[in-house]
Amino acid sequence: MVKEECKALLDALNKVTACYRHMVLTIGGTSDSQNLREELKKTRQKAQELAVANRNKLTTVLKDKTVSKEDKAEFERLWVIFSTCLEILEIDMRRALELGHEFPLNVPKKHLIQTGMSGGTSGVAARAMSVQNMKYEADHNIDVVDLKDLENEINQVGEMMYEMEMKVNVPQWTVEAKQDPGAELKSTISVGASSIGMISVEENKSFCDISKVLAGIIFTAVLIIAIVLAVCVVKLS
Amino acid sequence: MTAWPVGDQQWVLSPLVLYGALENTFAKRSLSTRWDPEHSNDIFQWILQRLQITEEEALHLGDLFVKYGYIYPLLEPKNLTLKTDGSLYRFQTPYFWPAQSWPADDTDYAIYLAKKNIKRKGILEEYEKEHYNMLNQKINYKWDFVIMQAKEQYKAGKERKKADRYALDCQERAYWLVNRTPPGMLDVLEYGLDRVTDPNENKKKNIAFYRREIMYYQQAIMKTRVKSSVSLGGLVKYSEQFLSNDPILSGCLPSNPWITDDADFWDLNAKLVEVPTRMRVERWAFNFNELIRDPKGRQNFQIFLRKEFSGENLSFWEACEDLKYGDQSKVKEKAEEIYKLFLAPGARRWINIDGTTMGITVKGLQHPHRYVLDAAQTHIYMLMKKDSYGRYLKSPVYKEMLAKAVVPQETVKKKFHFPVWPPSAPLQPQPHHPEAAGGRGQSQRSRHDRGHHTGHEQAGSQEPAQEGTSQVGSEPRREKTSRGWC
Repeated sequence: MVKEECKALLDALNKVTACYRHMVLTIGGTSDSQNLREELKKTRQKAQELAVANRNKLTTVLKDKTVSKEDKAEFERLWVIFSTCLEILEIDMRRALELGHEFPLNVPKKHLIQTGMSGGTSGVAARAMSVQNMKYEADHNIDVVDLKDLENEINQVGEMMYEMEMKVNVPQWTVEAKQDPGAELKSTISVGASSIGMISVEENKSFCDISKVLAGIIFTAVLIIAIVLAVCVVKLS
Repeated sequence: MTAWPVGDQQWVLSPLVLYGALENTFAKRSLSTRWDPEHSNDIFQWILQRLQITEEEALHLGDLFVKYGYIYPLLEPKNLTLKTDGSLYRFQTPYFWPAQSWPADDTDYAIYLAKKNIKRKGILEEYEKEHYNMLNQKINYKWDFVIMQAKEQYKAGKERKKADRYALDCQERAYWLVNRTPPGMLDVLEYGLDRVTDPNENKKKNIAFYRREIMYYQQAIMKTRVKSSVSLGGLVKYSEQFLSNDPILSGCLPSNPWITDDADFWDLNAKLVEVPTRMRVERWAFNFNELIRDPKGRQNFQIFLRKEFSGENLSFWEACEDLKYGDQSKVKEKAEEIYKLFLAPGARRWINIDGTTMGITVKGLQHPHRYVLDAAQTHIYMLMKKDSYGRYLKSPVYKEMLAKAVVPQETVKKKFHFPVWPPSAPLQPQPHHPEAAGGRGQSQRSRHDRGHHTGHEQAGSQEPAQEGTSQVGSEPRREKTSRGWC
């Protein structure tokens, strides 16, 4: 159950990071707005909370000497995923900071770039915050005010990563990936909360069936042709 | 944000300039429909007006914008040029601008490829597949994260409008086309070697810096200098002397093996061939170094020295060379042997070196290393050069060798390998090689009536090239017309 909890936390962090990336992509474009900045702030804070929770959980587990070897390997794998996720989050936060500085929203002559995006990112933000609808309640100069907070948070994340490196000694390169190349193809057909393992097995089965059916068809076709030719030969001779 | 040097065009692209430049556009267009892509003509016109430059320059600038990924074409994503036929372009989102100098991470690229894999259900381009597999091996430990993140980003993307999703796809694709160029496309972000020092960096002029400068200049003053007229004169003399021996500039007899596939040239010029070529023997007369560096020359010289009873000099020199370039493990033994054979008082082949040198050498031999006999070797070298060399050149040994030396005939080219090769035109006048001319006369065959079939080729020898039946090997190579073949 500890493993499941860790995995769930990690999945949540992963989701929030992905949404954050989506939102940072739209800064400075046509769909940039105060709402976007607020969404960024909220998502970021949520990501930080999740990161702290993840870290606490994983450090306690990794420091525990009583876990078995396979468990330890599994937790190390989760740790690597977590630290990579955190790296990406930090990079995105830094980029958000720079872009935020360059594209302030309250100046009279806004210079937003015509990227051709028209819709907003509220759906993405809702997904990140796991709510149905986003509520916007911030001041209208959030874009400038938020940047200071953002800087502090970046520092915090940086420190957290440093501490992590120092406290937990997990050599990253020893972890082997569980998923093969191309694994992403197997489980994206159905959207939903079903477990990934089951879906991949199903997909495999269906693929096998299709290939088997095809093979059967081709074989029978060749057989028929052979029979026809034999009959012709017999008839002619 | 710093200025960002760009490839070898050295065009500094400061974001501030760019933002200022682009700002105007948006001020004008912020009220109109906000998601129309731009026409290339509009972009071109706007650059022209805004920056007040010539048309050519505006076109070039616009082209650079496209190449670096600030603007991307909608119809032909891989063709990163600014066309003037009104095709549509879109601006790239600031996250993906190269001006930020954020490195395009491998992890990000892996996530992008995985996402593309999901979207296209496994259909990636060849080079993308290769990258995918390579990244899978390279960052295997992150692979689980890559796949997780790719799936999540894909799902998050679904929360947006369809048009936005399409725009986002285009943006990402454009970004990765610039940052991970497919094979065959120009890689504009290639900025050359990673240098340790940044030439544009401002160095702080503190004490350490000045101290280093002073040291550098002091050492520079102490260097020995030669007048450039002297050194250039030496260079010219060397070139003139060796011009006829250079196989590229003056051609080689019998023929250049790289062209005619005929390895005779190498066989005839082997290290210790029985009968060396005439060119080689003549080269020994240029200076002593040539003689002593040529194994055959050394052999001949040794014969001469034996007659003069000073063969041990050359043997000693050869032994020293062996010591210098031989195995490190054998250095000590070899040094001992050499000492016993050549240097010890009463040695069998005692060489005649002066007292100081002998003293230095003996002292050094207590701790032998490769170069312990350097002083003695130099002394002997100078002795041979100043004394024996002169006599050698006048000796019957050398003259006999010279007479025996062979001048190879130019090979007759048997096949028409490269009809487009123009004939290698010769670079020196004929009288220098009467045998060559004779040989050539015999080797002129199967040549249609051309009228320049006489002993000396003139500049008109370029003709055979154009007629396409040039036989490179059979053209004489000793006249001063330039070589057409590259």
